Amino acid sequence: MARSKTTTLPDELLSSLEARLAGTLKPIQPSSDIVQRLRERIHFPAREQIALRLSDWKKMFLVLGGVMSGMVVVITLARAFFYLWSRKSM
Amino acid sequence: MCVNPAGRTRRVQEIEFNEEELLLLASQGDRDAFGRLYERHVDRIFNYVYYRTGNLHDAEDLTARVFQRAMNHIHNYTDRGVPFSAWLYRIAHNLVANWHRDRSRKQEIPLDDLPILPVKGEHPEKNLVRSQEQEALLKIIRRLPAERQHLLILKFVENLSNAEIGAIMGRSEGAVKSLYHRTLLALRDQLSDQNINLEGD
Repeated sequence: MARSKTTTLPDELLSSLEARLAGTLKPIQPSSDIVQRLRERIHFPAREQIALRLSDWKKMFLVLGGVMSGMVVVITLARAFFYLWSRKSM
Repeated sequence: MCVNPAGRTRRVQEIEFNEEELLLLASQGDRDAFGRLYERHVDRIFNYVYYRTGNLHDAEDLTARVFQRAMNHIHNYTDRGVPFSAWLYRIAHNLVANWHRDRSRKQEIPLDDLPILPVKGEHPEKNLVRSQEQEALLKIIRRLPAERQHLLILKFVENLSNAEIGAIMGRSEGAVKSLYHRTLLALRDQLSDQNINLEGD
């Protein structure tokens, strides 16, 4: 025979059940090691690294600009010499 | 231009207790502000994930993923009058659901037999004496629908009131009370099915 199941809880049973739940579901303090490890995984302190990357980009931009300017100067000089040499030989 | 990190830190410290401001700063890409939000909520998310998975390693992994996802989508976050933790819990809920789905696909052994983590300030012997009963109850709790597990975690782990739980779960206080009552009835039935006596301690 199926056991009948009531839809109300007597006060004693309720408090006993709540006490057991309170004893079982207790807050767990994750260790500072775990919190730190998570922090590292999530990579919060990346602001400095972003700043570093930005300064690297600036440096790279300056280097690239310098190389391009140098190349323009070299090409201009080469063209000038070529022009002068071709005029002389005419 | 000279950047003054101390000034920036002070700016975040000044608004330490204002979550709305922190959220605004975080949504604008301020990682310090997000870091503050992380520190404020990491314990509760870790607890939630731990009790839902029963596994310390996976709890750590999933907690990290919750905050990674939150950080990636914080710019989409809109304040709808519900606590920020509700948004984090929703992310955690989805990730835990995916975790359970993946586990069931892999047909792994259930993680119900995992050791209970010692609670701070309690004598280890007391933990040992209670662990079998706790494990039995935890097994039953983990078989409950996700929503009921969430309710129990918020009520007992977080010690929140029905109104606060309602704000997080998007339900009215009355609906939370009703769900809680139904959850207790289900627990009672399952405990008696397993011949666990509720009346004697």
